[in-house]
Amino acid sequence: MFKNLRSKLVITPWLIFLGIMGVILIAGAVTGILIFWKGLVITNLTDLVPWGLWITIDLSSIALSAGAFSLCAGVYLFGLKRYQPIARTATFVGLIGYTMAMLALILDIGRPDRFWHALVYWNEHSLLWEVTMCVMLYLTVLVFEAMPILANLEWLRKRLPSITSMMEGAHHYAPILAIIGLGLSSLHQSSLGATYGVIKARPFWFKPEMSVLFMLSAIVGGISVTLFASMLANRLTNKAKVNDALIERVAQFVGYLLIGYFYFRAWDALAQTYTYDPGRNEGLQLMTKGPLAFNFWIMEMFLGMIVPMFLLLYKPTRQNPFWRLVGLFLVAAGVVTFRWDTNISGFLVVMPFVPGQAIAYTSYFPSLVEILSGGAIIAYGLTAFSLGVKYLRVVDHTLVETEHESLHVMAAEQISI
Amino acid sequence: MSDKKLSRRDALKVAGTAAATLIGLRMVKKANASESAPAGERQWAMVIDQNKCNGCGYCVMACRAHNDVSPDITWNPVLEAGQVGDKNVYLSRPCMQCAKAPCVEVCPVNASYYRPDGIVMMDYDRCIGCRYCEVACPYQARSFNWEAFTGNNPAVPEWGEPEVDRRPRGVPEKCSFCYQRIDRGLALALEPGVDPDATPACVVVCPTGARLFGDLNDPESSVSKALKENPTYQLRSDLGTGPRVYYIPAVAKKKA
Repeated sequence: MFKNLRSKLVITPWLIFLGIMGVILIAGAVTGILIFWKGLVITNLTDLVPWGLWITIDLSSIALSAGAFSLCAGVYLFGLKRYQPIARTATFVGLIGYTMAMLALILDIGRPDRFWHALVYWNEHSLLWEVTMCVMLYLTVLVFEAMPILANLEWLRKRLPSITSMMEGAHHYAPILAIIGLGLSSLHQSSLGATYGVIKARPFWFKPEMSVLFMLSAIVGGISVTLFASMLANRLTNKAKVNDALIERVAQFVGYLLIGYFYFRAWDALAQTYTYDPGRNEGLQLMTKGPLAFNFWIMEMFLGMIVPMFLLLYKPTRQNPFWRLVGLFLVAAGVVTFRWDTNISGFLVVMPFVPGQAIAYTSYFPSLVEILSGGAIIAYGLTAFSLGVKYLRVVDHTLVETEHESLHVMAAEQISI
Repeated sequence: MSDKKLSRRDALKVAGTAAATLIGLRMVKKANASESAPAGERQWAMVIDQNKCNGCGYCVMACRAHNDVSPDITWNPVLEAGQVGDKNVYLSRPCMQCAKAPCVEVCPVNASYYRPDGIVMMDYDRCIGCRYCEVACPYQARSFNWEAFTGNNPAVPEWGEPEVDRRPRGVPEKCSFCYQRIDRGLALALEPGVDPDATPACVVVCPTGARLFGDLNDPESSVSKALKENPTYQLRSDLGTGPRVYYIPAVAKKKA
């Protein structure tokens, strides 16, 4: 009997991938239980650095989900209908990204049993409250937007065809969902930056452009990750079918967006060098000369912006799928590094409150517990996306969906000739 | 545009101007209101005289005992603050009970809030433990309960008996000006700042009398008099937080 089973079981790369992900997920589940049991004392977070790796994962997964709202807005509101298959992938990526963010937050907050308090006890003055509300509402929107994708599950189609056809029907509301999604996303993507930008006690954060940078980088990174995931899936499995010309056009658009993002980011850093502001300049020093210098110059500026800008705007490299794939990956990695650097730079500089005392520095490196549980959140995202590609036709540009309901615009007056 | 009827554009202009004026007026009114303490309310404040503080740290221990604080956490640390002449200067830092407290403004669930008497309170049962308040506080006045405080409190009974519940794991905690002593004292018709039973534990225990506590709205209170008679400063007043803790700076004694 075992012999029979062994002959049937063929070890494929897919199974190896699932095996590795399974191991990471189990390790994450164990550390997750450990965290809930022992408390946050087993992390390397301190009163001086209360937000660390998990918050970076939370910020990054929300940022890289921004492809969903921006591409849906393009397709359903700005009439770029031919990019609909890419928006479809982006919606699924967004659904995964936001659930990843939720998982990271549940680990991070001290009282996960009270996570629902933000919905009940409102402080509309708090950016974190606004972000929580928007994320909850937007996740609901994403579930509706992803309904037609989830309806592709063959298992469900066979057993409950009435349900799946109803789920496909959600597609008719795509333009309305895109409007709500655009509003909610614009609010919370920029507010995540403002969460840092309003903190006067930490001068390196305290600036209005924080929200602009978060919004812009989220759109750039979010679209990149969607394109990257589609292309990578296309290389690895025949379940994914992409229209390369379509991806190339969007990749070029990302290249142009990168110029804007680069302009803002460079301007933001350079403008701070003109005057000395206690704490702010120390933060900038950390970024340009201190422990974050490699992240800033190499990961963010060079590999995250300049190299992909060239790869995506120079036609021969853009048309080469490999270099385009590399370029898109670098953009996403740069955005994640930006989130890490932003979060940590404000904490590493410890502002004195005793008159005459000098500015101090602290350090942070995530503990094994944080790394294992954070890694499991990423593994969950990768597994969910691969399952989507395999069973839900998430990356399938040949799939033609039923046309969504067109908006009936009534003319004010009949023109009579 | 017809002469009698308002055009749509004009109507919008008028409406827009009116709305902007109304919002503006409201903001001005609000700003004025936060300038001075509300009339008729008690407004608690603390004055710490750095000339008298000798850094003994009794206040830290009394605070730990009366508020049942873990030995890992200090609500009210005594910090070294340089030298004046040949004397060491110390700075004790309770929660500043800011009039415009960053922690209250950022809390997503209103777990931090202002009491009418100016004390910045924490609702430990509502807090979700996101630590945004800790991130926002310029005074490092908040400490997170990374683990549960179990077992004996080494400060008890030598320095006093606990008067409040221990905070659970997963929420940040901070000094509350011993609100429990103030409230109980007022109920017994005692005067906070005068009667020890109605005054914060750190003020009562201070062996050099470096700490004063009282009502800012009462011109006869010890804090009002101290503020009138001495030069004082607040910590990081440049941030606009409006701290309710004032310091009398240490000055070198003139040699006779």
